[in-house]
Amino acid sequence: MKISNRISVIVAGLVLALPVFAQQSGKDVYTKVCSTCHATGLAGAPRLGNGGDWAPRAARGVASLYQSALTGTPKGMPAKGGHMTLPDAEVKAAVDYMLGSVKDAVKAAKAEAEPKKEEAKKEEPKKAEARKEEPKKVEAKPAPAPVAAAPAAAPAPVASVAPTEVSAGDINSFNRLLKPASKRNLPPPEDGIHDPANDGTHALQPPLTAFGALPKSNAGNRVNWVEAIGQKKINPRYDRNDPKAEPIVMDLNIVREVKGSMPDVVYPHKQHTEWLDCSNCHPAIFVPQKGANAISMASILLGEKCGVCHGKVAFPVSECRNCHSKKKDIAKAPAPAAAAK
Amino acid sequence: MSGLFAPSRRLGVLSLVCVLLAALPLATQAEYADVVINRQAEKNGMRPVVFPHWFHRIRFRCKVCHAELGFKMRAGSNTITMTDIIEGKFCGACHNNDIAWSPENCDLCHSGKPGLPTGVFGGHETSGPGRW
Repeated sequence: MKISNRISVIVAGLVLALPVFAQQSGKDVYTKVCSTCHATGLAGAPRLGNGGDWAPRAARGVASLYQSALTGTPKGMPAKGGHMTLPDAEVKAAVDYMLGSVKDAVKAAKAEAEPKKEEAKKEEPKKAEARKEEPKKVEAKPAPAPVAAAPAAAPAPVASVAPTEVSAGDINSFNRLLKPASKRNLPPPEDGIHDPANDGTHALQPPLTAFGALPKSNAGNRVNWVEAIGQKKINPRYDRNDPKAEPIVMDLNIVREVKGSMPDVVYPHKQHTEWLDCSNCHPAIFVPQKGANAISMASILLGEKCGVCHGKVAFPVSECRNCHSKKKDIAKAPAPAAAAK
Repeated sequence: MSGLFAPSRRLGVLSLVCVLLAALPLATQAEYADVVINRQAEKNGMRPVVFPHWFHRIRFRCKVCHAELGFKMRAGSNTITMTDIIEGKFCGACHNNDIAWSPENCDLCHSGKPGLPTGVFGGHETSGPGRW
């Protein structure tokens, strides 16, 4: 009896002590609890490693982030992520872990918010790297400008540059127009066209939560929509009311010989009729007759012909080889090229 | 933009919004093919509508809306009114509490930033400098 009593006391002691010894790391907590929402941005949650998501929040200070994590927010963050048994310290560790994933961006935001905030932590180390990060940086830009403008010559270029180059922090950075991964498929509250002050905005589905399982591409939504249907990853309705209606697909390739050195264009009716009705394109956009349609890249870029959809909703013209896909027959090349148009 | 104090913070946010609006075609990170529809909305005191193509094309083929429902394929060429929608035309053909949720959920559609012009966002005309 006594022995078993003692054992149970020891066991109880161990169990009580366990959380102290085995406190989970921020990463563990994140993986088990937080990642449900914070990996994908569900319900507008700031995503791990996404500077844009975290910068505005971190600007309010770490203490306020701890507070939100512990007590929840009206936007949808449940107190302690809904796991009320988690010790405060572990919740805070998880917040630290998530903040750690976006150090640079947070710093950029802080640099902008100026010395106001303390949170000594990871302030100084590398300001220079933070430069290419955030659109928020831009806010900081105007401040330095007047200072630098003192030597009179500066104002003109600064003024002309500022309005055209707002989205990238550094005008002379590499690939300043290339959207970094952190700027693609942003959730509605951050995409620049939805109003974050509108409640409904936060109820809308963030694109990435839908795109996860779909085949990727390098442009547009970064989803290969044609493949998505081909692989049956999605099955969009062909009829509004009838989920079983099958598309009327026409399998006919039209080859258009093009001038210059680009491969010829193969236009596949198949992929188009998967999505569209004949009447969407014929006869208003394309006269259904061989040789009747003059198409140029210029007109496409201006939103005519293929450009009615490509560049707006279907893959953009940056994906040259999707259309220019038929290698020219070199021996015969000169003759048809001359006759083509 | 000195944080902490509510009024100056709001001012900061406001100025940020202004900067964003001024640089509109460049500053947006809009999802490819999102369409802002604002021919009627703001005139009538509502936020502009944002139509996400991506969300709808997962559920419907293009032709459902662009052939059957009569949406012309040029941003700004459709006059869509709430009356039409409630009568079951345009968006109302599906947003009727049967196929999709009903038009009573105003703020799900009317969710755009005030002042946005009608047009396709996220495509080659709004994703960088230049008209292309």
